[in-house]
Amino acid sequence: MREKATTLYIGPQHPGITGNMMVKVKVEGDTIVKARTEVGYLHRAFEKLQESRNWLQSFTLLCRFCVPEPDPVEESYARAVELLEGREVPERAKYIRVLMLELARMGAYMLWFGGQNASLGLYTMGQWSVGDRNYILDLFEELTGGRIYHMYIWPGGVRRDLPEGFADKVLRTMDYLEKRLKDYDDLMFENTIFQKRTQGVGVISKEKAVEWGVVGPVLRGCGIKSDIRIDDPYEVYDKLDFIVPTHEGGDIWSRALVRRQEIRQSIRIIRQVIEKMPSGEYYNRIPNPFKWTLPKGDAYARTESVRGEVGMYIVSDGSTHPRRTHFRGAAYVHGITLLENILVGENVADVSAIMNSLGVCPPEIER
Amino acid sequence: MNELKEVIIKRIKANFADAAERNDFKDNRLDIAVKKETIPSILFYLKDEMGFIHLSDIICVDWLEEGELEVVFILWSPVDKIKVFVRTRLDRDNPVMDNVDMIWRQANTYEREMREMFGVQFTGLVAPDEFILEDWQGPPPFRRDFDTAAYAEKTFWQRPGREDAQDVRETIAKRDGEEIPDFAKKYSR
Repeated sequence: MREKATTLYIGPQHPGITGNMMVKVKVEGDTIVKARTEVGYLHRAFEKLQESRNWLQSFTLLCRFCVPEPDPVEESYARAVELLEGREVPERAKYIRVLMLELARMGAYMLWFGGQNASLGLYTMGQWSVGDRNYILDLFEELTGGRIYHMYIWPGGVRRDLPEGFADKVLRTMDYLEKRLKDYDDLMFENTIFQKRTQGVGVISKEKAVEWGVVGPVLRGCGIKSDIRIDDPYEVYDKLDFIVPTHEGGDIWSRALVRRQEIRQSIRIIRQVIEKMPSGEYYNRIPNPFKWTLPKGDAYARTESVRGEVGMYIVSDGSTHPRRTHFRGAAYVHGITLLENILVGENVADVSAIMNSLGVCPPEIER
Repeated sequence: MNELKEVIIKRIKANFADAAERNDFKDNRLDIAVKKETIPSILFYLKDEMGFIHLSDIICVDWLEEGELEVVFILWSPVDKIKVFVRTRLDRDNPVMDNVDMIWRQANTYEREMREMFGVQFTGLVAPDEFILEDWQGPPPFRRDFDTAAYAEKTFWQRPGREDAQDVRETIAKRDGEEIPDFAKKYSR
């Protein structure tokens, strides 16, 4: 007997949704037959606002593109401006940027651990990992003055040098977090509930991943080795030794494993950065920002974030203000066309788990 | 890398005679400008024959003074490690171009947003009418001639007590005839 179809609205206010958006699903019994992402609850027209700000004033908006991990957005904007202007960045600043990006990556993954597990009803993991994330936020606070929004990476380098004794603190934190990874494994990957709810759920095949423009950990969870840090190296990633973990399978479980392994790689990168960081200048001073003009042209810089490729495209008409800026977010691809497609045939109880596993970040869709 | 870029340009020029290239970038970037009619075929060619399988971004830029809208596609080849910017210009008063979401599925989202924010019409685009804006009747809001500040002032209003840009506490005290306590006075502007 065919069951009657019902429409359910998951979001915009829903504990399982990663932010202000809605997934409208049509279900027959427990099975989803149609899904539609509805956005429009959060649009702030940042790209338009940037046109009325000068090149430097954009930074207060940039970090709000994606709250859990704002640094890749700042970095890609800063690098796009440097590309367009041809501005050199001191070597030390590049290392500090990588340090920032990797710390942000770890912090965002730890927050994601909480979200992914909470979507399955496992709340202890989130309390542990988000608690540990605070140690990273403490580092950010000391370095930049802000725990979440940093506005630290800017054109020409970084805003200030590392404080005295900061490197030791970073290394101590890394030692602690590395020890904790074993606990995470015990609590998360050894957990039967987590295994049963994630293995074989939300599967994306390799072919589909390429066709639908999947990026980042989700693509690596499909067994495709793709990482901008390796493929199109920026800053000093080409001088650092790390591997890009991949997993066959394409389900939530594989994506979780990829992220878990990337935390270890981030720790490895951070240790190398501290070891190799040269002394010297950290900032190539920009002119007075109110008179600072960029040459005519456009530039696109992209960065590997925890969600995948994020990029900033800027166009200058030779004035003190951008002609147009455009932010490319990974969630823009994952959260709409891909999510709508892979939810079909899944159980309605898994919507939140699948959405979290794709790393959908609604502020990135509605900039 | 430069030889590789030359080879790519040569192959594109052999198939698309009207393509105008720009190859003076220091990094792995290449620019190709074509007519809007050529866009689907050149994108198909770049993806299927040249290995540019990843679509990074689609952007619309409003060139108000020139009366044109520019649409830029950024493609990436994971094998050759080259970025290609394919750009085309549309008439600003009648911006119509072909839909390309059969080449990359995610293009659908970009096109929906461009249709709403810039008024670009994509022939053959199958998508719900509304994306981000709800019941929007006005001009496309991301175009250069749309004044966001004027629109906001017309549509929204300031909270009472703020219109004179004074301290809210002072304004309310004045309005209601209240006395501001001494400890609060030092915080007054």
